Amino acid sequence: MSEIINDRKVFSLREVSLSIQKTISERYQSSYWIKTEINKLNYYPHSGHCYPDLLEKEGSTILAQFRANLWKSDYQKINSKFIKILKEPLKDGISVLLCAYIQYDQVHGLSLRIIDIDPFFSLGELEKEKQNSIIKLKEEGIFNNNKLLKFPFLPKRIAIISVETSKGFSDFKKVIDSNPWNYKFFYMLFPSLLQGEKSVESIVNQLNNIKKLLPHFDAVAIIRGGGGEVGLSSYNNYQLAKEIALFPIPIISGIGHSTNETVSEMVSFYNAITPTELADFLIQKFHNFSIPLKNAEDRIIEISNRMLTSENQNFENLIKQFKFSYSYMLKGGYENINLLTVNIAKSSKNKFQQEKSKILQIYENLKRLCINYQNINIMKLLSIEKNIDLLNPENILKRGYSILLKNGKLINKTSEISEYDIITNIVADGEIISKVKKIKKNTGE
Amino acid sequence: MSETINYTEAFEELQIIVNELEKAEVSIDELSEKVKRAAVLIKICKSKLIATEEDVNEILKNLNSEIAS
Repeated sequence: MSEIINDRKVFSLREVSLSIQKTISERYQSSYWIKTEINKLNYYPHSGHCYPDLLEKEGSTILAQFRANLWKSDYQKINSKFIKILKEPLKDGISVLLCAYIQYDQVHGLSLRIIDIDPFFSLGELEKEKQNSIIKLKEEGIFNNNKLLKFPFLPKRIAIISVETSKGFSDFKKVIDSNPWNYKFFYMLFPSLLQGEKSVESIVNQLNNIKKLLPHFDAVAIIRGGGGEVGLSSYNNYQLAKEIALFPIPIISGIGHSTNETVSEMVSFYNAITPTELADFLIQKFHNFSIPLKNAEDRIIEISNRMLTSENQNFENLIKQFKFSYSYMLKGGYENINLLTVNIAKSSKNKFQQEKSKILQIYENLKRLCINYQNINIMKLLSIEKNIDLLNPENILKRGYSILLKNGKLINKTSEISEYDIITNIVADGEIISKVKKIKKNTGE
Repeated sequence: MSETINYTEAFEELQIIVNELEKAEVSIDELSEKVKRAAVLIKICKSKLIATEEDVNEILKNLNSEIAS
């Protein structure tokens, strides 16, 4: 009870808190349904209790904040309902509709004691968040960006975002590494958390690492599996979905669950659902390359063989034709040669005959000419002989002429002799030797 | 194989050769050349299917230098 000290009514702290406690318990007798956000769940695994920090915000402004208690048994009951219905555990940052008593504790002060949380409300909130992400991505016009990328012809080099020890990753490796066609893939693990709120940051971080190594990779595979269906709401996160949508190379997902597709899967280039299917998808791409390759090979062999066969056939035909034409021509040639031989013989003979007769004619002409010429000469000779006879001194002497000699030398000029010279006159029947009496030279000559 | 042609190019070139052959645009003189080229391309493509080119250590080196810079 209060006491009076120096005219003042003084209460002890306990009295005040008791009074508040009394007032509050009288004023707030029942439990209330309250819409709020669990800012921090503050779960203590050791005790099993939670001391959630509740918030109401408008944008970034905090409108109200409250501490709450969620005792172990209530927490376990609520959490299992959440996992069953939302496929999510109770966690930080979710909107909830909770049922709580408002209570005042003399030591711990004012708080809400949570006795129930409606999982369907949170489901709706999660769905709302998911829808919001979709709407935002669509409004920004980037929802289909990753899907519209050109998928590499041969997705050989895969950057994998997964957990080393996860069943999903080992399922994927099993299919990829032991494919019976011997297709060789190169994959590199970028380890990341794959569920819960931290997974967003972790995956985005690894995506950024891969971005730095882009030339080394053809595609990114986000592989999760074996983790059940809990904790997937982070894949509806706007930031993560945006990173995926805007990623410069195709992202394929194998997150492995059977509930509704998450936004991240929607914006991925391809959602294979399970890691095994994702591996099959990649192998199929190799088939898509390998089969036409085999077909091309077969076609080339077939067409080449056909061309060669047909060309051989043509060639053989040509040889046959050639042989035929050749023998035909040869035969014709022989005939021509024979004919030519006969002709040559014939014409040679003619030519000989002609030439022979020409020669004969020339000979005849020549002969005639010779005879003529001889005759003429004979006549000439005869005439000359006659002339010579005429000129013969004997004949001249006979005609009365004489030859005058002086000392045996013929004289035909008066100057050659002198008076009293002894001269000899040769006449036809002898000589007359005489002495010169007088020399008379003809005048006027 | 010294050729640095990538598999997309190799495959496309191969398809062109097949098309030419299909359409009988290749003369018998070119045939041997074309078939030889096709064999090279097929070999390239096949080797792409079964070869590994990347090295994790190299990539990690790149990543580390990237982060350091």
